[in-house]
Amino acid sequence: MRWRHPVFTALISALIALAAADDEAGISVRNAWVRETPPGIAMTAGYMVLQNKTSRPQALVAASSSDFETVTIHRTVARQGMTGMEHSPEIELLPNASLLFAPGEYHLMLQNPKRTLRAGDRVEIHLRFRGGLDLPVAYEVRK
Amino acid sequence: MVKKISLKFSIMMTAVVLAAILSGAWLTAAYLQSGSRAIFLPDRVMTLFPAPKPLAAFAFTDHENRVFDLPRLKGKWSFLFFGYTHCPDICPTTLAALARVRESIAKSTAGAQDVQFVFISVDPNRDTAGRVGQYVTYFDATFLGVTGDDAQLGNLAGQLGAAYQVEVKPGTENYPVYHTAAVFLVDPRARYHAVFAPPFDAEGISRRFEVLRALEAPKAT
Repeated sequence: MRWRHPVFTALISALIALAAADDEAGISVRNAWVRETPPGIAMTAGYMVLQNKTSRPQALVAASSSDFETVTIHRTVARQGMTGMEHSPEIELLPNASLLFAPGEYHLMLQNPKRTLRAGDRVEIHLRFRGGLDLPVAYEVRK
Repeated sequence: MVKKISLKFSIMMTAVVLAAILSGAWLTAAYLQSGSRAIFLPDRVMTLFPAPKPLAAFAFTDHENRVFDLPRLKGKWSFLFFGYTHCPDICPTTLAALARVRESIAKSTAGAQDVQFVFISVDPNRDTAGRVGQYVTYFDATFLGVTGDDAQLGNLAGQLGAAYQVEVKPGTENYPVYHTAAVFLVDPRARYHAVFAPPFDAEGISRRFEVLRALEAPKAT
C-alpha cells in the first residue's frame, strides 16, 4: 500500500472535510461570556460551556479573535498551596460530554483588547478544533 | 481533563447544596441559642483560629501613596488578598466576590464602616500604586490597593502563611505569577483571626463575618 498515493490523500481529505461538517453541528457552546476589564487593564478571561454532541472525541487546539492581540487556552491550577495558570495546548472533549470553562478553572486568556469592552458588548472568538473545524462564537461582555 | 455531567455528579451537587442550606440554617439556629464562638465548627468557607495571632510591624504603600503599616489595621476588620493586576482569572473573580461581600456587610445593621478590603500586589515589578488603585477601585470604590518591596511582601505573607512566586523573565511583560488564593481576615486588634478558602461564596463569607463581628464586639478595645 502506498500511503502517499494522491488518490488515498484525496480520500483522507474528503473524510476529514465530512467529519468537520458533522462536527459543526456536533459541538455547541453555551453561556459564553468575557469579563469586562477594569480601566487600564489589558487582560481578561473568557468562559463558556463546551459540549461535544458527537460520538467521537474532539480536541480544542487553538482560539483567536480580531478583538484581542492574543487568545490562549489556560487553566488555573494549584501548585504548592499557591494558585497560578498554565497553558493548555490542547483540551480533549470526550464524546457526548461537556467541559466547563469557568472562573478558577479552564479559561481563555484574552490579552490586549483592541477596543474598550463594556458590559453588554459582544466579542467574537474563533475556537479551532483538531481536524480543522473553526467555530465562531459570540461572547457577551459581563461585569 | 473532561467533566462529564453525569447522574452521579448531579446527585453529588444536590447533596452539596442541601448540606450548604442545612448548615446555614444550623449556623443561624446555633447562634441564636448560644451566642458563642463554639458555633464556628470548622467548615469549608472559613477557618477560625482558636487563638488569634497578633501581627508584627510591616510597611507597604497604599494606592494613594500613604504608608500602609500595622497601625492601619487597628480599629477595623481587614480582608486581605494577595494578587496581581495582570491576573485574568482568579484575581478579578476574587475581587468581584469581595465586592459582593462588602455590599452585603454594608446592608447589615452594623454596616461596613469598620471593615476594609486590601489587595496586596505580589508583582511590584509591573504593579505601580496608580495601576493597583485603578484596578481595585473598579471593583469597589472603597477597596485599597497596596504595593511593597519583596522584603515587606515576604514579611506579611510569612506572618499569614501565604506564599507567592513571581518568575520574572527579562525582556517580557508576560511571566507566570503564583500566589495563595485565600482571603485573610485580620481583626480590629491587628490579629490574624480567620481565613477564607476559595472558591468564594460571598453570601457564606458575609454571613459568617457578621456573626463573628457581633461575637467579638464586646471584646474589642
